[in-house]
Order: sequence, then C-alpha cells, then structure tokens
Amino acid sequence: MTSTIAIEVNHLIKTYKGSATPAVNNISFRIESSSIFGLLGPNGAGKTTTISMLCGLIKASGGEAKLLGLSISTELEKIKQQIGVVPQEIALYPTLTAFENLRYIGNMYGLKGERLKKNIFEHLEIVGLQAQANKRVETFSGGMKRRINLIAGILHQPKILFLDEPTVGVDVQSRNLITEHLHQLNKKGCTIIYTSHLMEEAENLCSDIAIIDNGEIISSGKPKVLIAEHSAENLEQLFLKLTGKKLRD
Amino acid sequence: MLRLFATIRKELLILLRDRGGLAIMFLMPMTLITIMALIQDAPFRDYQEFKIPLLLVNNDTGNLGVAIEKGLKESKIFEIQKEQDDEEQVKKSIKGGDFEIGIIIPKNVSELLNAKVNQFVAKKLTEVGFDDPSKTNTVSVAADLNIQILFAPETKKSFKASILSSLKQSTSKIETQTIMDIFSKQFKTDDSQVSKSEPIGDFVNFAEVSTIDTPKEALLLNSVQHNVPAWTIFGMFFIVISLAGSIIKERDDGSYTRLRTMPGSYINVMAGKITSYLFICMIQCLLMLMVGMFLLPHLGLPKLVIGNSFSAVFIVALSTGLAATGYGILVGTIFSTHQQSSTFGAVSVVILAALGGIWVPVYVMPDSIRMFSEFSPLYWALSAFHKVFLNQGTVQCILPFALKLLSFFTFAIGASYFYNKAATK
Repeated sequence: MTSTIAIEVNHLIKTYKGSATPAVNNISFRIESSSIFGLLGPNGAGKTTTISMLCGLIKASGGEAKLLGLSISTELEKIKQQIGVVPQEIALYPTLTAFENLRYIGNMYGLKGERLKKNIFEHLEIVGLQAQANKRVETFSGGMKRRINLIAGILHQPKILFLDEPTVGVDVQSRNLITEHLHQLNKKGCTIIYTSHLMEEAENLCSDIAIIDNGEIISSGKPKVLIAEHSAENLEQLFLKLTGKKLRD
Repeated sequence: MLRLFATIRKELLILLRDRGGLAIMFLMPMTLITIMALIQDAPFRDYQEFKIPLLLVNNDTGNLGVAIEKGLKESKIFEIQKEQDDEEQVKKSIKGGDFEIGIIIPKNVSELLNAKVNQFVAKKLTEVGFDDPSKTNTVSVAADLNIQILFAPETKKSFKASILSSLKQSTSKIETQTIMDIFSKQFKTDDSQVSKSEPIGDFVNFAEVSTIDTPKEALLLNSVQHNVPAWTIFGMFFIVISLAGSIIKERDDGSYTRLRTMPGSYINVMAGKITSYLFICMIQCLLMLMVGMFLLPHLGLPKLVIGNSFSAVFIVALSTGLAATGYGILVGTIFSTHQQSSTFGAVSVVILAALGGIWVPVYVMPDSIRMFSEFSPLYWALSAFHKVFLNQGTVQCILPFALKLLSFFTFAIGASYFYNKAATK
C-alpha cells in the first residue's frame, strides 16, 4: 500500500520579534495522509508556534512547509479551504445557539442551505447534542461546549484537522465520545494533527508522534516503537525521559 | 483578613504592571478635565476675554457714530471689521458664518439724537415752568433712532441679551453727555449742577434685524435643531465601545483565531462587522431624528426640521456611521483588554464630542480649543448636519464634511489593517 504525504515540514524556523532564541528551531518532519499525528512537548516547547505556522496564523522566519502539496508561504488561501482547526479555547459565541454558531462557521467555509443544516444536525446527533441545537451555548456544560467546538472545526469536512488540547477540562464520557469521533473521521481519510498533555490519550489515539522541546524535535516515530526503543513503560515515561523532570513555565 | 490583604496586593500589582490601564486611569481623566474645564469655563467668563467677529457699517459722521465705534473698540470684546455694506450684504456675511454680529449705524443718527434730546429737554423744562413752550424749540421728532443689529441664526438668546446690554452701556454715555450739554446751554451753568439722577429718555434703540429669510428658517432657532443632531452623532460614536468590545472578545475566546484559519481575508471579516455596525448606526440616526420630528413636539418642544435634501441627510448619516465604525475597529484592534478599550472609547468620544461642539457651540470656545475642533470627526458631522438643517444645505454643501469623515474612516481601517498585519509577523 502506498501512502501519500499530507504535511511536509522542512527546516522551519520561527523567531519572535524581540526574542534572541527561536521558538521553533529548524524542524523537519513528514506526516502521512490519514494518520493521527501527535505533536507532544512541555509548555513553551514550540507546539503552538509550529501549528500556528502551518495554519497560517503566523509567518515563518525561515524554512518551508507544504500541506497537501500546497506551500504555506504562497498558497495559504487554498490551504485554508482544506484544513480545520479546533483551538484549545471554546471559540464559540456564547449568546448564540449551537445551531447558530455552527451555521455561521459553515457559512464562513462557503456551506449553506439545507445541505449545511443537514450536515449540522448529523454532527450534533453524533456528539449527542441534537436536542440542544437551539439552546444558547452559554447554557452548556464544559463537555458540551467542547463537542460543539469540535464540530465547528470539522463541519466542512477538512482533509487535515489541527486539534489543540481538544479534550482539556472535560469528563471521561465526553472525552471518550470526542476520541471516538476523531477515530471515525480518521477512518474517512482525515489527517489529524493533535497536541495534548494527556499522554495516555495520545498513546491510544496517535498513529505517529513527535516530541518537541526547546523548539526542536527530539524524537519521532510510532509510539509503541519509541516506547520500546527507550525502554519505557508507556508514553508518559518516555516523555519524561526525553524532556526531563524540570518544571517548565 | 489575610485573604483580603492578599487580594488587595495582587490587584495593585496587576494594576501597576498594566501601563495602558494606568494611562487610561490617570492621563485620560486629566485630559478630559483640562479640556472640559477650558471649554465650560469659556461661556461663563467675561465677554471681554472673547473676540467676537463683528461687522460694522457706520454711515453716521457725527458724534454718536464715533462714540459707538469707540465704545465697541474699548470694550475689547469684538474683532471689528468696518465695511460700507447694505443690510442685505451684512445679512449674507452673517449667514455665511463670517461674522457673529453685524451693526448698521444709519446716516445722520447724531443729528437725530440731538433733535430728540432737545425735544426732551424742552419738554422737561416746560413741565417745571422754566420756559415758555412757545419760545422753545419743540419741533416734534417722530423718527426712531434705531441702530440695526444682526445676529447669526444660531446665536443664543442669553448671548444676544449680554451683547445688547454691553452696547447699550456704551450708547447711554453719549446720550447722557448730550443731555448734559443741552441743559448746560439752557442754564449756562456747569453740568454738575444738574441732577444726574433725573430720569432721562431712552433715545438710542438697538433694533434687531432678523437674518432669517423664510418662515422655515424661523423654525431653526431652537434647541431641538442643535441637540437632536448633536446627540445623534454622540450616540452613533458611542458604538465604539460595543464594537471594540466585540473585537477584543473574539480575540480573547479564540474565535478570531478560528476566523483567521478560515478562507477569506481579514478585510472580509471586518467588512462584515462594519456593515452590521453601520446598519445599527443608521437605525440609531433614523430613530433619533424621528424622536425630534414626532416625539419632542408632544413634549412642548419645537418640531425638528431636517431641511430640504434627504440625500444630504442620508450622506451625512452614512459618513458619520462609517467614521464611528472605523474608530471602533481601530480601538478594538489596538487595545488588548475590554476594560482598556471601553474606558478609552468612552472617554475619547466624550473629548471629541466636547471639542466638536456637541455641548458648547464651537464659536464660544477659546481660540486655543477651537483650533482642535477642526480635527474632531464629531465636529465635521455636526457641521454637516447644521448645514442641512439650519442652512437648508444641499449634497454639494455637505460634501467637504462627508469627505473628511470618509477619510477618517479610511485612515482608521487602514491603520487597523496594518496594525493587525504587523501583529502576525
């Protein structure tokens, strides 16, 4: 079976204005299509900066990256049509209903009419929120908001999905439902790039991982292979072995 | 208690490290107090501190004309320009906004004053039996001694009264002096022997000449014509707070991040905001004008007259709304917290309103402040509304103001765009 490359990163650098050291320092990696890729690292390691460059939120200081063969520096608008982003924050409008929020986001991706409505209700049904479609988001629990937040990122059926801590602060049931839904999406061909501090969740979800620290990738590969290579019991132990126990701020 | 002190310490540390917040908390109120004190102080100060532009037409060659002119100069409250215009020309100059006041001294008023005083003195002497009426010059002088005075249409009644009183003071001196001179001649005695407490005639009248040509214009001299557009503009600009707040909220809760990862540029997102808030502004304007036209008359106030050009009103409202939304976007883009943007937004609009003549007409402000009025978008908007409402202005009349407002909008949007672009680098 031949695999195609969804994301190709070559010598990517980002140095913020006024900072002497780069936040991301000459990193290179490849992500195969239809994989679930975990970008793991302690606080301030460079995860968010890397994802922000790939999504076009910030410009790279050097290097190049291609998503689905499209360059982030010259073909960003085309890339934006193909990607979905689920930020760590609940990026929803609290005074709008779940349906109104999703309709707005769908419209922003060019979706409209009955097709969009059907699409929204199908997703709401999957995450168990169909009955709450017309309730204001401000009345929802944390887990419910997280589920709506996820739908907002996948409504337009992106080929690549970026997830930043998608299950933070939610109960086990909601987390289980979200991860199951992510698996379903992945089976349909969506490439997922995922960041998290929850090592157990990453170990179960990701087909590939990269551990980033101080702006550099210090290890990458299949989780089970990496765990075995470093004689660790699990991903968390591997993570601590590679990044150390020193507190990060 | 420990919790209380710990909380106070934490809050103070946060505040002290927030330079923007500190500037808003201290510098902005100081600026506001200074500007407001200067502006509000002006109307209450002695008129001698003002220089009111006055157009004087002195057709009299005698003492009275000279005395009035001298009195005006000595009062130091007027910036006098002498012309030989007729009444129509003076009216035109005042309506055009070149002068606040016009005074026309007719020909031969000095001779008329002498004749009237002679008549008055003869009458008084006859009353007390000092003279034989048949021997005294008692030629009846029927003509009124009227000095014409013209005020700008928007001049307030209290201001007119003060000016008239000041002018009356200067003419009463020459009236008294003339009476004294004639009494002296009659008795061949010194002025001081005549009781100055004797009531004397009111010979010189200041007849106000209306600068209003049409009955429609007569409706314009009221507070409704000033206050409705003034507070409409103020209200429209106050959307700055909610608009800036919405931008900051989207940035804080990650919605803006999500929006930026979606297809379509920053301009598309901002255009959507501008359109929505502009719509709100237009509704605001429409409702406020309707209040002036339909509600205020029920409260015993005059009805708002919006002039003859609906197109001009629409263009003024549209350009004012755009200027307000542009300003809101700029404030929301530059400031990082809702507290900062709302405080700055509110206080800056109040300052711009004060400078723009929303509370106190710009013409009574000191020169030092009036200079800054020229830079207030609220002043441009108010001037444009006044052109349409007070002067029956057409689209052509308001275009310079509309262009200024649109330039302000363009500047604000451009500055926001480049600020945002720089922030993503």
